[in-house]
Order: sequence, then C-alpha cells, then structure tokens
Amino acid sequence: MIALTFILRRCVMLVLVLVAVSVLTFGIVNVLPGDVATAVLGDMASPEMVEAVRERMGLDRPLDARYLEWVGGVLHGDFGRSLQHGQPIAPMLLGRLGNSAILGLITLGIAAPLSIALGVLAALRPGHLLDRAISSFAVGAHAMPEYVIGLLAILCFSIWLPLLPGSSLMDPNENPLNRPEALVLPVGVLVIGMLAVISQVTRAGMIQALGSPYVRTATLKGLPRWKVVLKHALPNVLPPTVTEIGMYCGYVIGGLVVVETLFSYAGLGQMMTNAVSYRDIPTIQAGVLVVAAAYGIGNLLADVAALLLNPRLRG
Amino acid sequence: MAMSQSLVLVTSRRWRRLDAAGIACLGFVLLMVLLILFGPQIAPRSALAFDPLHSLEGPSPAFPFGTDEFGRDIFSRIIAGTRPTLLVALAAAALGVLLGTSTGLVAGYVGGAVDEAVMRVMDTLMSFPGLILAMLVVVMLGPDAMNVVIAIALVFWPRSARLVRSVVLDLATREFIDAARSRGETRLFILARELLPNVLMIIVVDFSLRVTAAILLSASLAYLGIGVTPPTPAWGLMVRDGQQFIELAWWLPVFPSLAIAVVSIGTLLVGERLRRSVATPGGGRPR
Repeated sequence: MIALTFILRRCVMLVLVLVAVSVLTFGIVNVLPGDVATAVLGDMASPEMVEAVRERMGLDRPLDARYLEWVGGVLHGDFGRSLQHGQPIAPMLLGRLGNSAILGLITLGIAAPLSIALGVLAALRPGHLLDRAISSFAVGAHAMPEYVIGLLAILCFSIWLPLLPGSSLMDPNENPLNRPEALVLPVGVLVIGMLAVISQVTRAGMIQALGSPYVRTATLKGLPRWKVVLKHALPNVLPPTVTEIGMYCGYVIGGLVVVETLFSYAGLGQMMTNAVSYRDIPTIQAGVLVVAAAYGIGNLLADVAALLLNPRLRG
Repeated sequence: MAMSQSLVLVTSRRWRRLDAAGIACLGFVLLMVLLILFGPQIAPRSALAFDPLHSLEGPSPAFPFGTDEFGRDIFSRIIAGTRPTLLVALAAAALGVLLGTSTGLVAGYVGGAVDEAVMRVMDTLMSFPGLILAMLVVVMLGPDAMNVVIAIALVFWPRSARLVRSVVLDLATREFIDAARSRGETRLFILARELLPNVLMIIVVDFSLRVTAAILLSASLAYLGIGVTPPTPAWGLMVRDGQQFIELAWWLPVFPSLAIAVVSIGTLLVGERLRRSVATPGGGRPR
C-alpha cells in the first residue's frame, strides 16, 4: 500500500518534471540569442532576410502559442523537421534512441552487479590491499573523461593489438546487437566510468552496515561470514545504492554522448553532436527533451526498485 | 575577520604538519597557477605557428610529445593550453558556487514561498544531465569561452544551492542567529556576517571539488567541438582534432588526453585533501 501511493506520487512528480523540462528547453532555445532563423541563414544574412525567414517559420508568433504547438506536436509524436536533412525528426530519433538504449542497458546490466560486488569486496577489509586497489582505480576512472579511457582502449585493443573494431560505424538501420564485437569497447568504457562511482557508494554503505549492532548479533549467533554479509548486511545496503545508480544515469547519458561520438556509434548522443555542428536546432531541442525524459524515467525506476528492495517496506 | 580566521585554520593547524602529500598538493597548485599565468611564455615553441617541415613527427628530444599535422609542437601546445583549459574550469566553478551560495543562503534563511519557488527552479535545472544542459546553452549562446563558463556554472548552480541551503537550514535554528535577531540586526547583516562565515569552509571545499567536475565538463564540451574553436590549444579540442590520426600518429590524441587525466586527478586529490582537513575535528567545521 505504501509502495503504491509512493509510486503514484512519484509518477505525478515525473509528469511535473517533464513539463518543467520542456518549458526550460524551449526557453533556452527561444529566449537566448541566436535563433533558428539565424541558424538557417548563417551570420552574414541581412536583418530583412532573417525577418522573412522568421515569418515563414512562424517564429514571429508569441512564445506561449509556439510552446503549446511544439509540446502538442511532441505528444503526437511530431518533433518537427530537421534543418540538416529537411525530414521529420521523429523516425530518426526513435531509431537512435533504440541504439542508445541498447548501449545504456547493456552497460547497466554489466556495471551494476559488478560494481556492487567490487564495493562489497573492498568493504570486507577496509584499508587492505584489495580495497586500496579498487579505490585507487575508482578515483582514477572517476577523474578521467570517457574519451580519454576510450582512446587508450582503442589504442590498446584495436591498433596495437588488432582484436576489436575501433569504430562502431554501421548502417543506421542495422541492429547493433548483430555486431556484438562493435559494442565491446564502447560498453567497456561506460562500464569503467560507472564502476568508479557505484563501487565506492556500495563500499561506504557496506562498511557502515558491517559495523552495526545487527551484524554483530548475526556474527555472534555463529553465522558464517558470507551469510552475514550477503543475507544480513547487503539487503540494507542495496536500496541507497540503487537510488545512487538512478542519479548516476545522468552521467551515463552524458558519457553516452561522448562515447557515441568517439566510436561513431549511431545513437542519440551522436545525432545531437552532429546536429550541433550543423546548428540543427530543432533536432537538438528534440534530443535534449528525450534525453531529459529518459533521465527522469531512469530516476523513477531506480526509486521504485530501491523501494521494492527495501526489506522494511516490503509486503 | 571570518575570512582571516579560516585562512589561519588552513595554514596553521592542519598545514603546519605538512607531509609529503601536502607538499605535493601545494606544488601541484603552484605549478598550475604558473602555467595558467605564463604558459605561452614558458612553452619552448609557439603553440600556433605552422612548421610544415616537421609535421607528424614522433616524440624526440626536440619535440618531447611529437608534432601535429601542421608541425606544431604538441608539448608547447599543451603548456600554452593550460590557460584556455583550466581558466574556464576555475571561472565556471567559481561562478557556479557563487550563484549557488547566494541562492542557498537566501532560500534557506528566508524560507517559505521564496524557498519553495527558488528550489523548484533549481530542481528543474537539475533534471537535465549536466553535459546535455551545458551543451544546449553553449550552442544557443555561441562558441566563446565566457559562454562555456556560464553554461557550466548553470549546471553547478542548483547543486551548490542545495548544499548551502541544507547547512543554512540547520544553522538558522541555532542560538547565535536568535541572538542576532533579538539584537535587532537586519536580514542582510545576519546573512552576510552571521551565516556566510559559517558556511565559508563548506563553500571552499565545494569549490575545490567542483573544479575537477568543471575540468571534465569543459574538456568533454571541447572534445565534442562545442564552445572552443581552432586553433585554440584547449586540450579537449586537441584530442578531438588528433583523434583522426590515431593510427598514424598516436601522440596527437594521447598526450593531451594524458594532460587532462593528470590535471583532473591532481585537482581531485587536492580537493579530497582539503575536504578531509576541514572535516577533521578542529579543522574548522562550522559551529
């Protein structure tokens, strides 16, 4: 019952967040200097030409009317037309979103269990060699941009040792799952970035849990160490860790943009960086909205998962 | 007075026992300041002048990090690039923390409808992944270092504001605030002279950790080709331009990448040390 009201309230919040995000996205694009008309014409256009294009594109109408029209279109699956290709954005966006989701979900599927395992291992003997190795690795990986790790990976595994393709360039309509070898390096880079943060969060939670009275009771009862750790301590560490994973998915999305650009992977991030170099503002606007929505939904799912994992609120 | 007090705390109590790691931190900060101020003068060669006779040469005593496709010395470009790379990050972290601190102070102390309204705006800013928000803002404002500073500050603003507000909410219930209020002090006085000194150390630590984040964000933006234009020797841009030569001349993207890694890990460690020295009892935690 508690769970259900919580989920409902969280869903309402998500809708509010999405409305706020769409307003802010629209606001940044339309209120800041440099609008679509100047992007179409370039810097050399005369004010009269800009005015004519603005009128033709409907940019001279009031902001609120244009906002409602844009949001209405988005709700019907119409994101407008790309300035670069002149085609509707929605179909391309959908395909790219799918590709990015594949990359992101594989990363999550590998990184979440692995980083929790590493965090628990490090917490078992804080200050010991294994803990220090894991923690130093985490600090190093956390402080490096994804493309630095990615470039070194390309150099090692695709140029010096030609094992894997250094680029994931493929036909936009091809399913990336048919080319698993092209996914290895991008996923590896994203996993390393995620391991750095989540393993440290798990470690901190685990050290705290292992020092608590209920763990001492369990140990004094004579339970084997692994049972104390996995059955008594871990269930209490998981919920905050999962929440943290949800918040971290914002970084994963940022990382996706960089990694997709680095490996020329046909995802949403690469679509956006492409659009940036052509100043294709409608496409950027659509991409930002979809990314922010994905971020909000990811946070919601993580909160729900944390709730379901919380032994105190189950049942 | 509060400022000198905190400075004394940093210099005398903790740093009197300067160990090897502390000296390394100080040395690192000094080196970075030196490179930012005098980078182009220190660099052995020009960061911009073409030298077609020496294009794409590997690392050698004359060119320690090799040369790029125009024959420019990569070592010199990295040294000269410290300023465009780090100054943006420092300014962005400072502006973000400044905005966040003032917002957090006011929202936390005034409370009520003001707090509610301000924090909802902050929540909205936070519901964008940082890199995406910064990207959108720079694209709309145009490629310019100042616009990158604004965009990154916008990403840090809500995060800093939340931190400061949470501390102020706690401080506002203490006796010394009641005392100031019953003395008849104005709100402005209480904010500036009673609350601000008490969050100062937290702000300093927050700033030092934000610098690392700002280096990563600005380097990522530069790598995506957003905000800086060639021939600026910003490290992220050097990686972007050098990447196409990776099979032919690995030193083009690798050395600027390493520069980013070394500097961001360095600032992270300095920030961590600062945080620990503040968090230890007697290290200046707000009372």
